[in-house]
Amino acid sequence: MGAEIDALIDIVVKGKIKEAAAATNACLDAGIDAKTIIFDGLSAAMAIVGDKYAAKQYFLPQVLLSANTLYQGLNICLPLLGGDGSASKGTAVLAVVEGDVHDIGKNIVKAMITGLGVNTIDLGKDIPIKDIIAAAEENNADIIATSTLMTPTLAGMKQVEADLKEKGLKGKVKHMIGGGATSKEFADQIGADGWSYDAVEASHVAAGFLGL
Amino acid sequence: MSMTPKERVLAAMRKEELDRPPVAVFTQSATIGQMDATGVAWPEAHSDAKMMAKLGAAQATVFGFEAVRSSFCLTAEAERLGCMVDPGKKDRTPMLKKHPFHFDPMMGEYDEPSIMDPEEFLKGGRPATVIEATRLMAEEYGNEYAVIAGNTGPFTLAGHLVSTENLVFGIMMAPEEVVKWIDAVNPVVKAYSQALADAGADVIQMSEPSSSTDLLSPDMFTEYSGNYVKESLAKVDGAYSVLHICGDTGPILPLMADTGVTGCSVEEKVDSAEAVKINNGRIALVGNVGVVHPLLQGTPEDCAAAARRIADAGFNVISPGCGLSALIADENLKALVKAIKG
Repeated sequence: MGAEIDALIDIVVKGKIKEAAAATNACLDAGIDAKTIIFDGLSAAMAIVGDKYAAKQYFLPQVLLSANTLYQGLNICLPLLGGDGSASKGTAVLAVVEGDVHDIGKNIVKAMITGLGVNTIDLGKDIPIKDIIAAAEENNADIIATSTLMTPTLAGMKQVEADLKEKGLKGKVKHMIGGGATSKEFADQIGADGWSYDAVEASHVAAGFLGL
Repeated sequence: MSMTPKERVLAAMRKEELDRPPVAVFTQSATIGQMDATGVAWPEAHSDAKMMAKLGAAQATVFGFEAVRSSFCLTAEAERLGCMVDPGKKDRTPMLKKHPFHFDPMMGEYDEPSIMDPEEFLKGGRPATVIEATRLMAEEYGNEYAVIAGNTGPFTLAGHLVSTENLVFGIMMAPEEVVKWIDAVNPVVKAYSQALADAGADVIQMSEPSSSTDLLSPDMFTEYSGNYVKESLAKVDGAYSVLHICGDTGPILPLMADTGVTGCSVEEKVDSAEAVKINNGRIALVGNVGVVHPLLQGTPEDCAAAARRIADAGFNVISPGCGLSALIADENLKALVKAIKG
């Protein structure tokens, strides 16, 4: 891949946020299409960021900086894709379940999954379960990713499973969970399709669902 | 060895040799079982000193833990300083709904801190309720049990006022703006810690979850949290000081001790034996029975086994690793107490 893409990757990994837009435009000027910039540049960069986080070279502040640098490039590239979603590798609906407002982890998951080239629909925090299901149906989502740090709100994740079954969506839409109050055991217990300890693992789980 | 529960907890704070460690909930202690047993429940108990004292004592009066504790959440200070708070429900702690100040590192827009005078802070709102509850607990239970007062750490409180994510992101974009806010809240944190001690608390347990390694890199801890804890918590006069941080505290345990606090309260994400090894006897260790596993989702046997393992590892106080979920079963808490007290 070209020097322009390599430069963009370096900028995202190092979080040189003010240089990201210019570097993205330099890629476009060099004739690299938006889709290639996203998948071979921005996605590749976030994968490196993920590796550094897993190796404890990066912590949340560095990841936040890279994520916000990523968005500078995405803001330029996404409108060029035509907006029909055909260029994306799938659709994921993200939410912190009703009763909880802790959303930093979810925001990092969003950055990592967006980095995979997945179309992410971020509903935000303290979201009623019925709204999560409705958004998944409306957007024909492949994945619902829910998060909570608190224990009382674990019940909401169980409700997602019940609603998916009731609507005949279980299996069609994969439900992955995460957050401080969750565990692999809890995910198995409620029948969720996936669980991850952190945002990097979450991107691996999502990639697995989508065959990436 | 004949000693009251209080003497045992305070001896543990001094890291004295004991026939067994005390078992006490140093973090949020209330559960539905205790609410039903005392007839006092959330959300009312968050804002009524008598109710708070009664429910805060329930860990001792209902289950036989060796301390009493108030309050039950980390929103009292933030609410007093202008955050909008949803009071929660019987089974759900209050939560912050809105940050009163604008702090946007992406746009480079930062409000100047405007924080209530510490003297004024102590006079009203729920901080005043917690101070009064602490006084009532010291009066009624203070001869027998250690009285613990919980409050919020400086970096965490600053995050509550401007949004934690923005504050953490701010460290990368405009660290001087971040420092302004922690500088501004720390006098309030210091005054509140001292007021709780003056009201009769034996131990001030400060929760500083936002400086966990899940949010800050270990090399940022001292600059953005530790140095402030050193000033506000560790200098408290007339009470022991315990710093609670969630997540894997292994990399920052020595830095937590450097603040000069009496003890550290840690979660199960740091292995108990590993924590004892890293700490190397410097300060008292409090913890670290998992709140979700085993307390919420495990069996009484799981809870007893975890308690014994942590005692064997050499923790000074056996305690849950984080605030209790209100949904934890009575049997699991009884098993935790019995495993240590026999």
